[in-house]
Amino acid sequence: MSAIDLGASSDTRSGRPSVVRGALVRLARQPRVWVGGVILLAAMLLAVFAPHIAPHDPLDQDLLHMLAPPMWAPDGSSAFPLGTDGLGRCVLSRAIYGARVALTVAVIAAWGSMLLGSTLALLGGYFGGIVDRLINYVVDLWMSFPPVVLSLILLVGLGTGVDKVVLAVVLVDWTRFCRVVRADVLVTRRRDFVLAAQLLGFSHWRTMLREVLPAVIPLMITLFSIEMGVAIIVEATLSFIGLSVPPAITTWGQMLADARNDMQSAPCVLLTPVACIIVTVLACNLLGDGVRVALDPRLRQRVA
Amino acid sequence: MFQIISAIVVRRVLLAIPTLLLLSLVVFFVLRILPVDPLGMLLPASATPADAAALKQQLGFDKPIPQQFVIWLWAAINGNLGTSLNFRQPVSHLMMAALPATMELSLVGLLLALLISIPGGMLAFMLYQRKREAVADLAVALMQSIPSFLWSLLLIAAFGVRWPILPFSGRVGPEVALPGLTGFALIDLLLTGQFQGWISALTHLVLPGLALALGLAPLVIRVLRSSLIEAANEPYVEVARLRGLSESRILWRHILKNAALPTITMIGVQFGFLFSAALLVEMIFGYPGIGNLMVQAVKGNDLPLIQGIALIFCVLMLAITVVIDVLYAVLNPRMRKL
Repeated sequence: MSAIDLGASSDTRSGRPSVVRGALVRLARQPRVWVGGVILLAAMLLAVFAPHIAPHDPLDQDLLHMLAPPMWAPDGSSAFPLGTDGLGRCVLSRAIYGARVALTVAVIAAWGSMLLGSTLALLGGYFGGIVDRLINYVVDLWMSFPPVVLSLILLVGLGTGVDKVVLAVVLVDWTRFCRVVRADVLVTRRRDFVLAAQLLGFSHWRTMLREVLPAVIPLMITLFSIEMGVAIIVEATLSFIGLSVPPAITTWGQMLADARNDMQSAPCVLLTPVACIIVTVLACNLLGDGVRVALDPRLRQRVA
Repeated sequence: MFQIISAIVVRRVLLAIPTLLLLSLVVFFVLRILPVDPLGMLLPASATPADAAALKQQLGFDKPIPQQFVIWLWAAINGNLGTSLNFRQPVSHLMMAALPATMELSLVGLLLALLISIPGGMLAFMLYQRKREAVADLAVALMQSIPSFLWSLLLIAAFGVRWPILPFSGRVGPEVALPGLTGFALIDLLLTGQFQGWISALTHLVLPGLALALGLAPLVIRVLRSSLIEAANEPYVEVARLRGLSESRILWRHILKNAALPTITMIGVQFGFLFSAALLVEMIFGYPGIGNLMVQAVKGNDLPLIQGIALIFCVLMLAITVVIDVLYAVLNPRMRKL
């Protein structure tokens, strides 16, 4: 029974730390986890220490150096390592500052949708019956909206701003967690250790939180990681359309929109924000895949 | 067969009615909590509060929200979705003009996605058989990290600006007039015999269609690959091998055929994704479809238009579910007995 309590907070039962350690060892053997994790960590450090790392203020306009090429080009200068955009703003600095909004939205929105979706999945999957059917119906209803349409409607209703974008992502994407986690809860609920806990007279709360939840945590970590990538794309999309944040805050989506306006004269300005988005999202996807591959076989072995 | 299909359609349509009602309710109430005044733009700067109140009354925004909903719903059932605040045209007219364009683009995108992902999925499957799946996994993970709207920008930068070989704005060149029979440019221009125009419409579809397809393809490749792996482990494959069929015949006639089913279901589920992607692709390519209309409506707080488009998207999604269910029944012999 305790062998299932993966990732639950330590010490009360013996034998559990070794399970957590086993999981960590498996994670450490996955190159995807390393690559994804290191990229994300680096991006987070860049975001946190942006004011110390970025060579310029992301909003400073140098009108004498508009659309300057990157430093390795023949007439590039080392003052602007990645060149400047149409208003003479340093592309590198803007990219570094853009990571702040992207990662803030990614982490908070992924937490939010995980909390909302998994809670409902746990309740529905564990209790079944009318609760489950009701939650399922709402998920189906929600999923019959194309996600971007739903988030646009929500943003019209909520107004713009980073907090509103986070809220919109949570309100759109909780269904993803709900549907997948519920399926896992349904399987776990019928396993022997859950029945044993129920026979021992544990309360529903305790059974749900101490027995069922730890068993679905690996899946939740995978989904969390993938959801971060989704949130980054949604934020970039919304700020590209101009619905996300006021212009005084730099985002990758805004950089895309600016670069699009200058596309005819300097198509290469586009590449920096595009690369930022792709690399970060790829890191999230790799991390999620790695976690799934590392922790899933364990689950399957236990069932067998 | 016909009976089964009609049974599925009837059951699905009946189930869809309460869903549609609830969805329009959700949209309506979300839009009514909005902090900005949708009427602000309609009034001249010199308008008095009395003018504003009069306009509000004229448009029905002064009534309680539940009453507004009932009025809107009744009109919608009768085919009247109201008048756009910004375009000053009936919402249904605007949508009917834009809908075929979106469908044309989505279908082209879907077709290109299949052309990319069927060989791609089979390649990934062969790499898996030769224990080289890491390469395929990385390629798919990379493709999955590039959404359609980034592809649009990259494709424009490459094939529109850097090497200007393809057009990237609108549906047809300025010299072509769309006849407007069915609303599908490729069909209309062919029917009226405008061959030059047809080529123009086709080239205008290449880049946006490709952007959509490249966003959708990794999802299809993933499912196709895992369905191929699953089908390859079925006993009938071993039987076919024992019968002495060639490996390529086994792959094409047995494995691929059986792997098609989950893939088709997946594509149906991903239509929401396709529409979402089409919305941005249309905006970026200045393509006059529903998505572009939606972005304009959202930017202008054009409530009747947003409501109408949201409703149309929901109807489309539900209609696709019906089509997929029917396809599933037709293709899967196990489903034919009710």
